[in-house]
Amino acid sequence: MKLVVFAACLVLTLGCYLATRALFLRFRQPLLNPVFLSTLMIIAVLQATGGTLADYQPAKETMTFLLGPATVALALPLYNNRRVLKNQALPVLAGVLCGSLATIAAVLWAGRLAGFARSILISLGPKSVTVPIAVEISRLSGGEPALTAAFVVATGMIGSILGPVLLTAVRVKDPVARGLALGTVSHGQGTAVALIEGETAGAMGGVAMALAAVFTALIAPYYLPLLLP
Amino acid sequence: MLKTLFAIVWQSALLWLVFRLGTFLVQALHVALPGNVAGMLLMFLLLLTGIVKPAHIEVAGGFLLKHFAFFFIPISVGLMAFGPLVRQSGAALLTILVVAAAVGVLVTGLAVQALNGRSPR
Repeated sequence: MKLVVFAACLVLTLGCYLATRALFLRFRQPLLNPVFLSTLMIIAVLQATGGTLADYQPAKETMTFLLGPATVALALPLYNNRRVLKNQALPVLAGVLCGSLATIAAVLWAGRLAGFARSILISLGPKSVTVPIAVEISRLSGGEPALTAAFVVATGMIGSILGPVLLTAVRVKDPVARGLALGTVSHGQGTAVALIEGETAGAMGGVAMALAAVFTALIAPYYLPLLLP
Repeated sequence: MLKTLFAIVWQSALLWLVFRLGTFLVQALHVALPGNVAGMLLMFLLLLTGIVKPAHIEVAGGFLLKHFAFFFIPISVGLMAFGPLVRQSGAALLTILVVAAAVGVLVTGLAVQALNGRSPR
């Protein structure tokens, strides 16, 4: 029985991914984001069949096994774009630092305005950073790690849907700037969208994801208290 | 076909090895970085020094990067656990996250483009 559930979860996830990917590549609409649509479909199926997260967990472990190696593979586009990195070191570093500071300030300011409790505010702080680091920052700052993980995933989806539209609206066409913006705000999920836009944008997404993680981890102990009530 | 499959398997093993090495290093040195990001930086270094050639990883690497988005689907399904919080204050949280994402994307994108404007390309 467990094996059947496991296999069903694998087939369901792969099927949703392949279908929504084909749809996205056909229409290129940010709202047709494959992660967003597939997640909705899978949650709907789980709820309709009375399935729980615990049922889905073994399949999740198997499917995310290659995420580590895939992140390491980001070194490849990074290497192919090493000249961009060398020639534009200042814009890259300054852009990611400004973006990280701005998005943290914005989330805490908006969260305070909405009247959220301190522990939720702290959990919101590192939401733009890749999950393993965000969870650690949250724990060290007195937040709720599981909540932070949820905010990180939600931000990943929001940024990868909204980001490309906004960047186009303000005429940011430079693939370096687009990749950096997507990676800074939406970590791996933003990088995935940047990779679809092109190799340079994808490489910069990876750079931004790494830099934002380092910057946020380093500044959080000093920066978060300044913005908290 | 079989040759490509073979290349994907052993190149993935190489990528996995560097990933584990990155994870080990951040734990041993107590660096505030996730292991996968450390592994990426490590692999970048290996490529720059020529110890690893792009040809050693590009079949598996290209495949994994092409489907990078896939890995975030099973992770996102975990959002299901936060049903009660979403029902209670989902709209407010969504608004906050949208505002913060917009600010971050615009600041980063415009800053990089403005700083790049000076250097001819």
